[in-house]
Amino acid sequence: MNAGAAEGGQWTFEGTVTFGGGEVLRYRLQNGLRVRLLVDRTAKVVSYFTWYGVGSRHEKPGKTGLAHLFEHLMFNETESLKAGEFDRKLEENGAESNAATWLDWTYYYESLPADRLALAIQLESDRMAHLVLREPQVASEKEVVANERRFRVDDDIEGAANELLYKTAYTVHPYHWPTIGWMEDIHGFSPDDCEAFYRTYYAPNNALVVIVGDIKEKDVLSKLRAAYGGIPSSVIPLEDTQPEPPQLEERRVSVRKPTPTEKLYIGYHGPALGDADHAHLTLLNEILFGGRASRLHRALVIDQEVVSDLRGWVATFRDPGLYEMHFTARPGKTAADIETILTREIERARSEGVSDDELARAKARLELATLQSMDTMSGKAEQIGFYETVLGDASASFRRLEDYRRTQAGDVLRAARRYIVDRARTVIHVLAEERAGDRQNGAAEAAE
Amino acid sequence: MSAPAGNERIELEGGAVLFVEPSHTIPLVEVAVSLRSGSAHDPAEKQGLFRTTLGMLRRGARDLTARQIEDSLDRLGSEVSVDVGASIATVYGQVIERNLTPFIELLATLLESPTFPEDEYGRLKREIVADLVGARDNDRALAQRAFRRGIFGQHLYARSSAGTIAGVQPLTTEDSRAHYRKHFVKGNVVIGFSGDITRETAEHHAQRLLRSIPDGARLEDPVSAPSAIAGRRLVFVDKPERTQTQIVIGQLGTWPHDDDHVPLTVANAIFGGTFTSRLMREVRSKRGWSYGASSRMGIDRQRHSFGMVTFPAATDAAACIALQLELFTDLLEKGITARELAFIKRYLARSYAFEIDTAGKRLHQALDVELLGLPADYYSGHVTHVEAVTLEAANLALKRRLNTRDLLVSMVGTASEIEAKVREAIPELTSHDIVPFDGD
Repeated sequence: MNAGAAEGGQWTFEGTVTFGGGEVLRYRLQNGLRVRLLVDRTAKVVSYFTWYGVGSRHEKPGKTGLAHLFEHLMFNETESLKAGEFDRKLEENGAESNAATWLDWTYYYESLPADRLALAIQLESDRMAHLVLREPQVASEKEVVANERRFRVDDDIEGAANELLYKTAYTVHPYHWPTIGWMEDIHGFSPDDCEAFYRTYYAPNNALVVIVGDIKEKDVLSKLRAAYGGIPSSVIPLEDTQPEPPQLEERRVSVRKPTPTEKLYIGYHGPALGDADHAHLTLLNEILFGGRASRLHRALVIDQEVVSDLRGWVATFRDPGLYEMHFTARPGKTAADIETILTREIERARSEGVSDDELARAKARLELATLQSMDTMSGKAEQIGFYETVLGDASASFRRLEDYRRTQAGDVLRAARRYIVDRARTVIHVLAEERAGDRQNGAAEAAE
Repeated sequence: MSAPAGNERIELEGGAVLFVEPSHTIPLVEVAVSLRSGSAHDPAEKQGLFRTTLGMLRRGARDLTARQIEDSLDRLGSEVSVDVGASIATVYGQVIERNLTPFIELLATLLESPTFPEDEYGRLKREIVADLVGARDNDRALAQRAFRRGIFGQHLYARSSAGTIAGVQPLTTEDSRAHYRKHFVKGNVVIGFSGDITRETAEHHAQRLLRSIPDGARLEDPVSAPSAIAGRRLVFVDKPERTQTQIVIGQLGTWPHDDDHVPLTVANAIFGGTFTSRLMREVRSKRGWSYGASSRMGIDRQRHSFGMVTFPAATDAAACIALQLELFTDLLEKGITARELAFIKRYLARSYAFEIDTAGKRLHQALDVELLGLPADYYSGHVTHVEAVTLEAANLALKRRLNTRDLLVSMVGTASEIEAKVREAIPELTSHDIVPFDGD
């Protein structure tokens, strides 16, 4: 059905999908812009997300970090707005805004008082087509990003170790390089690099607008068409990505850092988010790592007291990501102490599987987490946009709850055997640096 | 029937108080059981006692073991956490609505009959000590700790609610039993519910929780008004291989009962409270020196701190500090402008919608007012108060409450590489200390 053919092109109504107790309305503008609307009048605010189908996976070696640099450049000058005006206009109207970039996508969002929605439409459509990318803007933001890299990676042990984990686990797939980019690449970007990237990926047919809040559908569609309808589509290049070949041997890397305790980061090659096994492995992860009653918390923190912090996460990427496991050893304990117990517990998961009670508890925990993510308008908009961008399904967060409910212990056992494969894992071992006149780093006093 | 607004204060038996903020958008219920006392009550040689005591509530209650408690919480789709500050300590719970009643029963058991088993007590203390050692990886937290200690000296706000290794290690179960008995009394308790719950249901569950708590009067706050530091001081937290620094610069700030509290917070918002603030513009936008640049006015029952936060590369740290001092001096000498004031008023008034857009936020405002003794209209009258601020009042508040003479610069970096340059960047520096990052 066509929902209007005035200036700016036609809307195509693509149907609705249920989202909790609400309904997401799906539209597509003639130039390819996809729009998802969820009316929610519980507060006089609105959340406006713009998702672009571009992330660090679309970069090339030597130009890593370009997608993330845009997360900064997009807040700069446009042909009609001077530097600083974008943020100033938003703040003057009481809006919050930010952005995020990852491997598969980039998003920008504004949360505004409901009567200020038109401002977000105006600003976002403007910077989709009219960004100014000259040397001063690019140079200044490169320096900010270099500082962000120092903050998040170079001086952050977890950031540095996680970067090393992906660098080592992936050899040909673009998940090999970090979203923030290598430092030398960040320093090397030119305005021409930025312009080419912008003209290619920042276009309506590579974008998704998600609006959640106190809105009127007809009014919003009219404003969107007026603002975006004149922006031409671009030709999105064929994504030339090599699948990661199977990892046939364990890879181990040790690094030394100024830290009081050893750390262990392990990555198993896991399923893509769209794979049916993703929900099964996520449930297993909850049974192994979720809360104080989980198997690994009990074994490593409570019973053996070798770990102070542990986390597991099944990457939610479009292509197969890592099943990440992070451990921080107690003072005086070693990564080897952790691995001994971890090996035992993993073997148990692969041989005995999980109990129905463990599975029921994991399902309840994941249901709680899903509901918690829907507390705010922006939380709902992010869920809709994320799943629409990665899986093409705005309501997938609720479908996942159904997947969890249907999962049987046998599904979890199969996922454990399929993905937790020792010969196909990568291990990063962070050791404490030895310093002259070392003060024992607190280990001795803590072990008393 | 629609439930009343959450900032309605409902008095319960024994001096306890209840707030309810219903919202039926998602089937979740949050409960907060707050105490009108916090880590300021920890004895000087037992810092971490409050944290340890509250942590023990889930380590054994009545006939339930720690393991049984954790299993039950998971089975119900629920979470329990504790938060301890200097003036307030809170046990938070969140649960899927369909399991609310059994969850409240479990929570009441934890509050009513903690058993403080010796083995769990030792285990918890070792976990806390490991956390405290692990916190040395967090440079920002190290800078904040040095700042707090430097600003408040011997005052109770200098202490960390997380505790110290020396304070936690000697604790005994009897310490925690006594602490529990002293603080968990009806007159010291404020309960809040938000989410998918009605006022009637909330009152019913609050009564159930309250039955688990004995009678007793609220505790007196042991915190006195803090004294200002004198002169310009540098506390340099020395950590190897820092390519980036973490910097906090500040002094004593504001008190919610000051007649110029709102004008001062409005002026601070112009200086470092938004993405287009003076600090952000000069440090990040113009020079690209730091990913973040902000300033903040903390609030508590007594006057708290004002602090500017940046995290520049080590090579830019000295210049960044010099710039911040210049910007701060300029702020106090020349004040804010009428244009800046008009802008920030629009921002603060319009963005207030995001302070109240969820039931949880509305509940926390009500709890803050009650527990910190804030003026009754501190939040509900926020927009009106902000709009009433005049240029003269804001600039007078800056001159009256802040000064360029008495400032603490606390930072984390590698001393051998930059400390001397940092000292040179601070005119009229009266004292400087280098402290190790891995001290207690």
